[in-house]
Amino acid sequence: MNTKQTRRRTVVSMLLIVVFVALFMVKLVDIQIVQASAFNEESLGKRSIPATIYSERGKIVDANGIILADSVMRYNVTISPKNTKDFLRVTDRADVTITPQQAAVEIGNITGQKPEEILKIVADALAANPLSDFAYVVKGVDVDKFRALNALGIPWLYSEPSPGRSYPNGSVAGNLLGYVGQDGLAQAGIELTSNECLAGVNGEENYQRGADGVRIPGSTVTSVQSQDGSSIKLTIDSDLQWFTQQVLAKQVDATGAKWGTVVVQEVKTGKLLAVADYPTVDPNNVGGTAEANRGSLAFMAPFEPGSTIKALTAASLLDAGLAEPNSQVLAPYSIEFPNGAKVHDASMHGVLQLTLTGVLEQSSNVGITQLGEVLSAEKRYDYLSKFGFGATTAVGFQAESTGILHPWQEWDNQTYYNTMFGQGLATTAIQVASAYQALGNHGVRLPVQLVEGCVAPDGTLTPTKLPAPTQVVSDAAATTTVNMLENFVTKGWISKYISIPGYRIAAKTGTAEQSAGDGTYSNSYIVSNAALIPANDPQYVVTVTIASPASNGSMASPPVLKAVMAQVLKKYRVEPSPDGAPDLPIRF
Amino acid sequence: MSAATAIKFTTPRTSPDTPRTTPRPTRFRVVATRAQRHARPRVFYAVVTMSVIFGIIVAQLLLSVAVSSGAYEISGLQAQNRELIRTHQSISQDLDRLASPQNLAANAEALGMVNNNTPVYLRLSDGAVLGSPEAASVGAGVIGGGTLVSNSLLKNVPLVTTTAATAATAATAAAASQAGAGASVPTPVVATGPVPLQNGLPGMSTH
Repeated sequence: MNTKQTRRRTVVSMLLIVVFVALFMVKLVDIQIVQASAFNEESLGKRSIPATIYSERGKIVDANGIILADSVMRYNVTISPKNTKDFLRVTDRADVTITPQQAAVEIGNITGQKPEEILKIVADALAANPLSDFAYVVKGVDVDKFRALNALGIPWLYSEPSPGRSYPNGSVAGNLLGYVGQDGLAQAGIELTSNECLAGVNGEENYQRGADGVRIPGSTVTSVQSQDGSSIKLTIDSDLQWFTQQVLAKQVDATGAKWGTVVVQEVKTGKLLAVADYPTVDPNNVGGTAEANRGSLAFMAPFEPGSTIKALTAASLLDAGLAEPNSQVLAPYSIEFPNGAKVHDASMHGVLQLTLTGVLEQSSNVGITQLGEVLSAEKRYDYLSKFGFGATTAVGFQAESTGILHPWQEWDNQTYYNTMFGQGLATTAIQVASAYQALGNHGVRLPVQLVEGCVAPDGTLTPTKLPAPTQVVSDAAATTTVNMLENFVTKGWISKYISIPGYRIAAKTGTAEQSAGDGTYSNSYIVSNAALIPANDPQYVVTVTIASPASNGSMASPPVLKAVMAQVLKKYRVEPSPDGAPDLPIRF
Repeated sequence: MSAATAIKFTTPRTSPDTPRTTPRPTRFRVVATRAQRHARPRVFYAVVTMSVIFGIIVAQLLLSVAVSSGAYEISGLQAQNRELIRTHQSISQDLDRLASPQNLAANAEALGMVNNNTPVYLRLSDGAVLGSPEAASVGAGVIGGGTLVSNSLLKNVPLVTTTAATAATAATAAAASQAGAGASVPTPVVATGPVPLQNGLPGMSTH
């Protein structure tokens, strides 16, 4: 009996032991083998700290390497609302207790916020969550402010790095550069269209650190290597860009105009040296400019160009062999064509006996339409297309306009004539500059270039891919047209406004009625000029466009044209022209 | 030590003169092998092993101390590097914004410089004047009523003329206070107008 009991007890104990050991074994296998990797990961996660290695977004530089857009490290200032309490500050004299109110005043003095604003951030965060440990005080402060904030030694004030963008020259070329948002993503302009070149790749790493915050040697694991972005080199010259912007802005303000643009292009290369718009955004302070003015009007705003197109009609006629500088026409003030279209000139005059040169010099609509009619609408459309109208330029600017050039089949009786003097079609300022570039470059229109290329961190430049040049008109036709335009500057009304002693200039003005949006013309004008300098061997195209000047009318743009031309001649050390302008008869 | 004691298992030698009452015991003894006789005492090995282990422990300790103090040095240098990068950024940003064309032009104009719209060149090889010289008017500056090409980075950057004027005022005030104290200090000369040229424009003496 006794032994039986003992034996049973032994068996039960043994069984229990076996069961427990089996249980432990199962758990052990589960922990050590089944869930091992997950636990390892978790433990590593607790010990190691992930960090982002910020890559640098590429710079945007001008033709001379002057930095227009640069990457900087900015800082987001954050706060721990639940810990926003009094703290003790140790100073040389005594320990001072600083209340949150006092601290808020100190912070506000640096960030430019009102103390109430800062305290409101804390109060709002605590109202939403009483244990709130995180709220932004201000985003994107610069190094100097960040250091000043650090020096305050406020225990509940923190910061996080936030890569930002700085534009040291402000709104110089701000219209072209565009800008980058608070999140570091490109939002407009070249920043956006060339983002592929500029953007870098942020790296990632993990490391372990001791209780005192010091990184444990050999614990750093880089999982993603950071890669800096490449730079964009523009064809723009920042000094000239500034000059054109300043001169333009002054005149737009003085004449009470709505907006204006200036384009300077190199004739032999098609490179844009300056593209000024007014108003212009300061990319450092995007909010300070109305949304409509944050881009480049020169690329984005099409307008009916008016008489500057007459020079292109004349070049087309010369190229087709249907006219010469001395072709004669009787030009009354107005004319009615057999198809019912009516054309008249800008100001009242009697019947003038004009040559083609004289038609350009007088800017006679009646004259150019009579002479130009011999060229079929289809041919004229082809010439206008080859001059670059109705299509975006090779630049491919963000939201660039194609302008409006309806197919010739859609031209009505009036448009059939109006297109010869630049009405019934719309162009951008860049397109006009590009057409004149062809006239200056022996009839060859080169692709318009704004971005020279992408410069890799190691310094190698990948040039922008450009389409082939187009022979628009013959060399002879182009050169003869430039000579005719020169006679406008030497003999026309503009002579005293834009002449620069010692230099030969070819130019054409345009004062164009603008569509009111309902099929009629409004009473506002866009005045524009296009010029080639020096006329003996054109090197630069300058166009000026001023929209709806309240005063001065056609006189609004020539002062800008003259100032910009003089600056270009000085800047690029253009030698004065050796001989005078050719004298072509304007009357017969 | 067992090797040392092993040799002592011999029975004491008895004198041959001693009368033999009992039969002579067999004179066998354990003889150490040649290797055993040449072997060093085992204590020596123990000491060497122990000291090597101790040495390794100490070396490891020292190494780890060195590595950790290196970590602090690295950490310190990294912090210093970060600070220097920040200083560099701060200074180069200052330089870039001061070098912006708006700032340079505004300062140049504040100092009385104007823009001439009539370019003329002097050819050094033969002294020929290219172009038709025309004097610039006093109001030919481009800035005139103030810069219209905004740059929010230049908000708190004063013109050189303002800085000079402030400095001059401060200098005058200092001089006045010193003069009040009885010392005679010459009034500081501050250039206000255009600087007169002596001996004409500086130029190359050779062609």
